[in-house]
Amino acid sequence: MKKVLILLAVLAAVALWWSTRTPDWNWELPPDIPPPQVPADNLMNAAKVELGRWLFYEKRLSRNQAMACASCHLQGLAFTDGASRSVGATGETHPRSSMSLVNVAYASRLTWANPLLDRLEDQALTPLLGDRPVEMGLRNGEQRFAELLRSEARYARLVARAFPSDKDPHSLLNGVRAIAAFVRTINSFDAPYDRYLAGEADAISASAERGMELFFSERLECFHCHGGFNFTDSTTHANTDVERVGYHNTGLYNLGNTGAYPSDNTGLFDMTGERRDMGRFKAPSLRNIAVTAPYMHDGSVATLADVIANYERGGRLIAEGPLAGDGRLSPFKSEFVTGFELTDEERADLLAFLDALTDKTVLSDPRFSDPFLN
Amino acid sequence: MRARLLAALLVPLVCASCSQWDYPVNIPFVATWQGEPISCESPGAALSDLRFYVSNVQLLDNDGRSHDVRFATEMSWQNDAVAIIDLENGEGACLNGTAELSTYVLGVAKVKEYRGLRFTIGVPFRINHENPLTAEAPLDDPDMHWHWRSGYKFLRAGVSTQSDGFWIHVGSAGCEGTVGNITGCRFPNRIEVELPDFVVDEHVVTVDLSALVAGTNLDDGTPTDCSSGPAEAACTAPFAALGIAFETGEQTGTQRVFSVQ
Repeated sequence: MKKVLILLAVLAAVALWWSTRTPDWNWELPPDIPPPQVPADNLMNAAKVELGRWLFYEKRLSRNQAMACASCHLQGLAFTDGASRSVGATGETHPRSSMSLVNVAYASRLTWANPLLDRLEDQALTPLLGDRPVEMGLRNGEQRFAELLRSEARYARLVARAFPSDKDPHSLLNGVRAIAAFVRTINSFDAPYDRYLAGEADAISASAERGMELFFSERLECFHCHGGFNFTDSTTHANTDVERVGYHNTGLYNLGNTGAYPSDNTGLFDMTGERRDMGRFKAPSLRNIAVTAPYMHDGSVATLADVIANYERGGRLIAEGPLAGDGRLSPFKSEFVTGFELTDEERADLLAFLDALTDKTVLSDPRFSDPFLN
Repeated sequence: MRARLLAALLVPLVCASCSQWDYPVNIPFVATWQGEPISCESPGAALSDLRFYVSNVQLLDNDGRSHDVRFATEMSWQNDAVAIIDLENGEGACLNGTAELSTYVLGVAKVKEYRGLRFTIGVPFRINHENPLTAEAPLDDPDMHWHWRSGYKFLRAGVSTQSDGFWIHVGSAGCEGTVGNITGCRFPNRIEVELPDFVVDEHVVTVDLSALVAGTNLDDGTPTDCSSGPAEAACTAPFAALGIAFETGEQTGTQRVFSVQ
């Protein structure tokens, strides 16, 4: 009798373990793309991703109840907002432009120039709670998350399934874990360029093909900073053994001929205090770049053609005004931004290639859309 | 059992001449502006924020020796390492504030005779970079955490006039590593305060906002701020008032903001 009881207890324990263990998440990636890294304390599960999707679009997580994460990260614009600088819940303008979240699971560092942030769970706290500037401006965050996650049947149901072994699951910590899990699923590997690589020779135009040659040439040097499967040198994934993080001064500003950037946007320098870090920003992924205008960390360049013109020149010239200066002469400029010459046809080819990085699937995939609209 | 017996025998031997934690120490803080009290609702210059962490409180005796003050931990604004002093009530100009106040540090000391007081405005490095979402009070206050710089805002203070304003967030900057694994910070930015004449139950510690913002352009009609970033020229004067060399983040001078009254 005792033996039977022990056996039953063991079986029950195994069953419990079986039901709560997290199976490997199916990332649905092309065969040559490695899965992203996932923090050991926030493994993926379907309920967590669904919970995160609702919370990503949840406007009650802002001070004015009118702003969600999604307000600055619109799916149709590859999860950017189309503004040069984003505006928060209290009307304050952020010094920076909203970054795309597509493939952010592969980013070795987050935001434009923060070397400390390598987990979406940590990063999410700044837009939610930060006060310089106020973004979503959530007050009493711990309490607000607890109320929301407990009081609504939808959230209560999802939280129980997302965090089955957590004694106090209705926490801000679990809220940002869920949002991070959802955002990690926003992946894009279905651009014409991806299909071209997979063997569909006519997936991109002849012009885009020529643009690709230019992009990967030593003459233009684009790929040094925008290389790899995610078109940025700050890429990491589950099989990486060397961590790669790149920050670059592209000669966008040269205030007073000192190399200075505007004081509210000095990039890596603001984080490290090292002179050599003045104006260094992360090279963003170029996937879907055609739909994420305006460009650069402060949205100060209107079109991709203008971006290319700045690189052709080897740095931007601002002829007059308070920001006047010739970025080409900046002492802090990246060695890869040396300038080049393009014919009109080559310029068109390069733009055609960048266009071929637009993945229409991710821009309209219902898995990433606003669930409140359904 | 044997170990406990041994300890019971040894403690009186070792500690025959030590005193116990018998002497309560209450350190009240008051915000002032040009010698007068200032609040969130003061006419003219008003407080727009004033919250800071106090740690390493010590009493100084006549021989210059320092004696630790152990924090009482039954209040929500103190744990055994830090206390938060919150002198804003969320009213008036304190738009981002909270109703709760905590106006004094309470602890115990082993000495009765002393002449002065020493403390740090800051959170010790060993706990400054732990996860704020799982930290215990008073390190669980999201207003005091600096999610993007990592660590806490040791001091947040602000002054608002009818036409202008200045606010400052002081905390460690230039940190290295990644959030969760911070290995050090280039600019520690902790404020060391030494007040040679302080008597419990007689004195209060004043926080002089007019000294803090002297040298900033509070009167030019454009609100400015300092959040401890190396490119922020607006930080230089208030950092000097706090005794910190802005270029290094180290305490090199004598602070002029905290005094005894």
